[in-house]
Amino acid sequence: MQDQVALILRTLVFIIIAILLCAVIFQIAGFSAPLMLQSVVDGAFLRQGALPQALRWGIPLFITAAGVALSFRVGFFNIGAQGQFYMGAIFAAVAAELMRGAPAPIVVPLCLLSGMLGGALWALWPGLLRVRSGTDEVITTMMGNFIAGLILVWITSGPLKDPSGSGQQASSRPLEAAYRLSTSTGISPIIIGIAVLVGVVMWLLVNRTAFGVLAGLSGRNGTMVAWQGARIDRLGLWSFAISGALAGLAGTIEFMGPNGRIASGFLPTHGFTAILIALVANLSVIGTAFVALFFGGLASAALYLPVMAGLPAAAIDIINAAIALFITAKSATLERLFKLRRAAR
Amino acid sequence: MIDLIISILRSGTPLVYVTLAGVIAQRAGVWNLGLEGLMIIGACATVLGIIVTGNFYVAMAIAMLLCMLASALLWFVIDRLKANPIIAGLGLTGLGIGGTALAVQAIYGSLSAVNAPIGVPRIGPLFGPFAPLSIFVLALPFVVFGMWVLLRRTRFGLRLAAAGEHPFAARSVGVNPSRMRLVALLAGGVLAAIGGAELAAGSLNLFAQNMTSGRGFMAFAAVIFGAGHPIGATLAAFFFSVVSALGIRAQLSFGDALPHDLLQALPYVATVFGVWLSGKLRGGLRAAGGGFGELRDN
Repeated sequence: MQDQVALILRTLVFIIIAILLCAVIFQIAGFSAPLMLQSVVDGAFLRQGALPQALRWGIPLFITAAGVALSFRVGFFNIGAQGQFYMGAIFAAVAAELMRGAPAPIVVPLCLLSGMLGGALWALWPGLLRVRSGTDEVITTMMGNFIAGLILVWITSGPLKDPSGSGQQASSRPLEAAYRLSTSTGISPIIIGIAVLVGVVMWLLVNRTAFGVLAGLSGRNGTMVAWQGARIDRLGLWSFAISGALAGLAGTIEFMGPNGRIASGFLPTHGFTAILIALVANLSVIGTAFVALFFGGLASAALYLPVMAGLPAAAIDIINAAIALFITAKSATLERLFKLRRAAR
Repeated sequence: MIDLIISILRSGTPLVYVTLAGVIAQRAGVWNLGLEGLMIIGACATVLGIIVTGNFYVAMAIAMLLCMLASALLWFVIDRLKANPIIAGLGLTGLGIGGTALAVQAIYGSLSAVNAPIGVPRIGPLFGPFAPLSIFVLALPFVVFGMWVLLRRTRFGLRLAAAGEHPFAARSVGVNPSRMRLVALLAGGVLAAIGGAELAAGSLNLFAQNMTSGRGFMAFAAVIFGAGHPIGATLAAFFFSVVSALGIRAQLSFGDALPHDLLQALPYVATVFGVWLSGKLRGGLRAAGGGFGELRDN
């Protein structure tokens, strides 16, 4: 318990340091830092209807982050959530296109499954390269992000192109209303149900199964787990597949829920934010849910800032990046402070 | 043929400078994923600096200074606060991309591209058809060779490698590994600033939001592909730009018959192939997990 409290305190201290750094950057760039931070907090948490917005953005982030946390737990640095998210949305969109006109109870589950399959496949090739040839997964998953982004550009401006679309951003034809998981609000019983299901299944998987225990151990000491006779490569492949499938599921939800179509380059920072959420939550499933709500609020503030406060949305990217810079930090000084407090008790 | 070579030199040169920044960090034992962020800071600062001061050299100095400052921040977080270098590097990249977008919007009120009246000095008519290339292209062979000498043939280079490969041994002979990492990252900041300046002001003289579009990560991949050797990594970086130039060439000759968005993915596919190959040749990482156990410390 003591350790948990110390951990949360440490995380908070570094988030505050990160926000101070952002304040300095805002000020240097010529914005008023207090005004900027005030508007961010307003947009994220205080204004009317902030909570539904935080949920709308937080749910897909939570689903992706739960997968990222699993692969980090196993000790594989899958930073390809963005690409897996895109491939999920692409597979779901292609499936929906192929089944156009079929009854919704058949189409919807098949689209969800195909989205998860797309994400899982896009995670499996770096996973296979890693466990079979020792190819570094940081680079392969990152390149996978770029490649998936280009496949998305190609598919939205080619095979799935919406001929009536005119804007600068190519997008697919809109999904038929019958197949949508939600309206553009992004919240509906089915989406919340999926999120809860993902949370429960991932919590059970991590905390109540042999797989979860081995996953945690292999992340800390892979050699030992291998010597105990566990198949690390299989464990690794499963973790890649599950994290990819969840990112793909999040992409599918964005496509079938709030967006109703896929557009080239949509939500380009989803994967990075999900990685951040997993790390801020210290890879715990329950923590991920709460932290996702926080970052979901920030994501909704990115839409609020330019419209309501006339401030650039890049402010949110900067806050996220600064948190990333500091979130894995360990400070000896802080550590000593916590130890002193513990000794005083 | 000559314009193909010119286009390869143009796209390859920024990549090589940033790759060298990655090489020197790699020698000191730092996986620098902040290269993308440093490069875009260098690009933005050069263009804005030229607009404000009207002088390329002053702008270049400002860009180098800013990139060194960002590198020092990365060093502080990785070395002093023991943060995970990969996540911290990605954070620095995000700060660079977001910060430059913010700066452009703060100054110009919009996110459109910013044009500079002048760019990097060009090498001039003495070189015939290569005249429009920038002086950084001309300097490249010397910089690469100098880097090779510095890293492989000097006392400093050996100490740097020792600090990177075996910090404990380095410490035992009086080398401070932490200071070596700082020096390597600061030098990398200068090189990445040149790479960014060359990208923004080497031919087009403009800065656009997110204009590095993954080149910093490609440079990082070139470092791995080239096994951290200055010449090997340079060749890897040029290999990537040859692939990308050929992709553009194919697009020009075949037009819409080929999906050009997918051709743009060629350098990324080549990177995956390169990293896979270099792993194959040198044994790769161990198959077991681990290595990132420090992410979970309770």
